[in-house]
Amino acid sequence: MTALHVVARVGGEQYGVPVEDVLEVADAGEIVPVPGSGPALLGVRNLRGQVLPVVDLAAVLGLPRTATPGRVVVVADGGRAAGLGVDSVKGVEPLPEGGEEADSPHLTAAAVVDSALIGLVNVTSVLDAAGGAHAP
Amino acid sequence: MSGPDPEILEVFYEEAGERLERMEETLLALESGHASADAVDSLFRDAHSIKGSAGMVGVEEAQAIAHTIEDALEEPREKGVFPPELADPLLRATDALRRVVAGDDGAVEAPEAPAKPAERRTMRMSAEKVDRLLDAVGETVLHSRRLGHALEQDRSDGADGERVEEELGHGERLLDELQESVIQMRTLPLSSISGPLPRAVRDLAIAHDKEAELDISGADTQLDRVILDGISETINHLLRNAVAHGIERPEERARAGKPATGRIDLRAGQRGGLVAIEVVDDGRGVAPELVQQAGADGSLADVLAEAGFSTAEEVTDVSGRGVGLDAVKAHVESLRGQLEVHSERGRGTTVTMLLPLTLALLRVLLIERGGQTFGLGLASIQEVVTVTDTMSLGGRQAIEVRGRSVPLADLSQVLEADSQKLPEAPHGVIVAFSGRRVGIVCDRLVGEQEVVVKSLGPLLANVPGYVGAAIMGDGTLALILDPAFLVRKLTRRAGAALVPEAKRSAKVLVVDDQFTVRELQRSILEAAGYSVETARNGREALNKVKADPEVGLVVTDVDMPEMTGLELLAEIREEPRGFSLPVVVVTGRGGEEDRQRGVEAGADAYIVKEEFDQRALLETVGRLLTG
Repeated sequence: MTALHVVARVGGEQYGVPVEDVLEVADAGEIVPVPGSGPALLGVRNLRGQVLPVVDLAAVLGLPRTATPGRVVVVADGGRAAGLGVDSVKGVEPLPEGGEEADSPHLTAAAVVDSALIGLVNVTSVLDAAGGAHAP
Repeated sequence: MSGPDPEILEVFYEEAGERLERMEETLLALESGHASADAVDSLFRDAHSIKGSAGMVGVEEAQAIAHTIEDALEEPREKGVFPPELADPLLRATDALRRVVAGDDGAVEAPEAPAKPAERRTMRMSAEKVDRLLDAVGETVLHSRRLGHALEQDRSDGADGERVEEELGHGERLLDELQESVIQMRTLPLSSISGPLPRAVRDLAIAHDKEAELDISGADTQLDRVILDGISETINHLLRNAVAHGIERPEERARAGKPATGRIDLRAGQRGGLVAIEVVDDGRGVAPELVQQAGADGSLADVLAEAGFSTAEEVTDVSGRGVGLDAVKAHVESLRGQLEVHSERGRGTTVTMLLPLTLALLRVLLIERGGQTFGLGLASIQEVVTVTDTMSLGGRQAIEVRGRSVPLADLSQVLEADSQKLPEAPHGVIVAFSGRRVGIVCDRLVGEQEVVVKSLGPLLANVPGYVGAAIMGDGTLALILDPAFLVRKLTRRAGAALVPEAKRSAKVLVVDDQFTVRELQRSILEAAGYSVETARNGREALNKVKADPEVGLVVTDVDMPEMTGLELLAEIREEPRGFSLPVVVVTGRGGEEDRQRGVEAGADAYIVKEEFDQRALLETVGRLLTG
């Protein structure tokens, strides 16, 4: 079984986001930091009149952040929308699902394509991590 | 069998609801002898209309009840005399009718019938408002054509764009008009929620063996729909407090030389750029000690809200208004409003909610700190000063403003952002909220602007300090600061009850006779950082509340052996400190009656068991514990 994913580069690695979770891919825009929001959130940006929180995907996945993000992958999960900050977007590719086991709670699996490992992102879990950094 | 058209049913429910509201009003007036001459006829007409339309749409039960009401009115109509004792059975009949038309009965609606009206987010709008919007849109379309024309003419003339500039100015005014119309569409009159209140006060008074009458004025005052939704529960709460704790029993009132029937006024009206909603009672008022404390210490609203959380025994016996006032205050503030309380011993209490006209627009002062722009609502800014001489008080900075010392802090530090060096003699913005003032230091002032405030969304809902964000002229966002947060953060004293962090150490008592339910709730609450105690029934819970002063909130089931949740609630309210202890009641679906009884006994919130989820529980507990 393969499924379409938006494949992005983050901290020198590749990650796939299921297309059904993706609304669009946008440039990073001007991200305004929100003091007090914790390390998983880069800030908020204006996306056509909406306030879009931007998640530091590298920080959530435990990767070193190399530079400010170049693109945001805009995702929706139930009522929550957010941009995942990534270095760049490679394209949309069919990736095998349920392949290798992934070592992060924020990944559902890992796919091997052309001898490169691509982590499949669990959007719900990433957003939980970004929004759940604070006790209510 | 095909049932009636759901849309027609919907119209019937809505119309019957309006008539029922008017009938209740009339019945209350008849009962208290204040009715107009044609009251009985008006009642009869409404009952008759409901009967007719119920017959048409085939809601037979409603038809039958309306018919009974008609019959009962036959004699009063003939004799022209309405015996007041007839009001009560008729009110109960309108209740029964309401249950039927609200679709609560189940027997009425076909299974495939649409969801209950209350669950839908629709609003009725005056045709006038829609027309005004349409006019503005039409003008804007014409304007855009004129703009195109002006551009062409300027080009062919080789002119310098004078015409275009003129049209642009015109366009700005049109856009203002458009924005204003849309904002107007967001408003509704207070009367859209105040209808059931006189009846509720009457029933509450009866339940407390008291006599009370509610008088509503300014019901046509327009309020933002979101604010109106938000304060409906709060107004209920204040009325409940007024009846339960403000108004005295008839014999006590007689001794004080007051009329036996207590008077409660609900008044609404515009006050400057704000809407004021007041609940005024002529009851016994707040204890003078508390009023005195308020004089020295800021506002009475603060003192009462805090008293709710202090364990001090002396404030508990007082005929209080503090019951749940911390929750009311937090709620009003979350709507960018302010709460004021005035009270005179023996004369009564006035609780005033000052609310913004709209949540959509806010006039802000834009300030800059560390290269980032922030907005702060002008209504909460008292003045701007240049910070030169600061004092240090107990390790904290303060500045003298008009002869009084005001706590002061760097905005970066308040928000716990990376701080950068402040310029020489930076600006200090003096923010006033709920009678307290603080100074916020920033790099520079950018200017004043009217902005549309947008929510930061669910992902950032738990980050304190902001009311939202606004889009600036260059398309970037500016965070809009929450004045309540700034003032609290700078004025908190050791052990002060207003601090959310202090609340998290509060102990939550979970009461349920089922082990699994108890443990589920315990694990959810503990994961969120609360310490949790459990009890298996009301009796056990009551003993724990009495023995452990650290219990700061109770979550209780209703049906339990030994002592039920509602009995527990009543007992807690009798306790000296239970006066302010928040109690959340977990009811089963359809437990309307439990809910009603819970309301009367003073429950602070409800969770429906079948809809129980982690978020609902944590939100409710968080809301009640953070003042």
